[in-house]
Amino acid sequence: MSGFARRLAGFPWREFAADAFSRVFLIAQAVCAVHVVNAHVCSLAVVTGPSMLPSMNLAGDVVAVDRVSARLGRVASGDAVLLISPEDPRKPVVKRVLGMEGDAVTFLVDPGNSDESRTVVVPQGHVWVQGDNIYASRDSRHFGPIPYGLITGKVFCRSSMAMVCLVSLTLNF
Amino acid sequence: MSGFARRLAGFPWREFAADAFSRVFLIAQAVCAVHVVNAHVCSLAVVTGPSMLPSMNLAGDVVAVDRVSARLGRVASGDAVLLISPEDPRKPVVKRVLGMEGDAVTFLVDPGNSDESRTVVVPQGHVWVQGDNIYASRDSRHFGPIPYGLITGKVFCRLPLTEF
Repeated sequence: MSGFARRLAGFPWREFAADAFSRVFLIAQAVCAVHVVNAHVCSLAVVTGPSMLPSMNLAGDVVAVDRVSARLGRVASGDAVLLISPEDPRKPVVKRVLGMEGDAVTFLVDPGNSDESRTVVVPQGHVWVQGDNIYASRDSRHFGPIPYGLITGKVFCRSSMAMVCLVSLTLNF
Repeated sequence: MSGFARRLAGFPWREFAADAFSRVFLIAQAVCAVHVVNAHVCSLAVVTGPSMLPSMNLAGDVVAVDRVSARLGRVASGDAVLLISPEDPRKPVVKRVLGMEGDAVTFLVDPGNSDESRTVVVPQGHVWVQGDNIYASRDSRHFGPIPYGLITGKVFCRLPLTEF
């Protein structure tokens, strides 16, 4: 045999495969655990856009999202929630809940241009969400009350991206 | 010390705690793995009720639910899907998709009593779902088209509950 084939045959393939498999398995377990915590306990998310000004920055904020409360139904008016957009199922958005099922919600139909308001009763199993910045937010005033099943978490902590970067850099050095 | 206290002190608490912890950790890892597979790959569910007759039994069926297709958006008209009810977020229901976003869906408003039909265009990001048994199903004819985000999986296999 050539020298190359001999080196190839002499390589401990079986131990290499066993070692690689155990390392991959360990990484898979870690990914599973992190994912379960992320999806069911608590999660971090980066939110951008003008629809929640002045509560949240235009350029971006890091928010901590509590998944347990939404699953247990402990969401009430006034909570900022993370939800799946009813217009694009791949887009998570943050809005504030203004009315639970059964509540009568009054809103301005066109805040910049007129004083006309409308009142809607939120149907069973639905919630009414609005962005804090009513002039630049696409929310229940446009797509109606959303089913509660679209809510994936409740925002309980917010920090600007600059502060998070600063703190993490400080802790690392 | 009494004999009881002496036996209590002689028990190998530290090894017992380490053993218990490692077993609990192993069980937690297994639960995590099973849950991730159940929620993101494939899942079994038991469905009961008359709304999907004759496709599914009144008394109960075990269905296999494919979670990947729904996540990738590979759901089309004719698929039976598992979704969260828009009327009660704690209730998962199985219905059939009859129209995707942009489709015009025609349905009978009161099938038992009249021939009146209505046509609705499904808005963006929504789907129209109906039970196969239109006489005994609460679906999009009552609560309107549902956002796609409520769909949690696609049913691909069905077995009667009595065969389990």
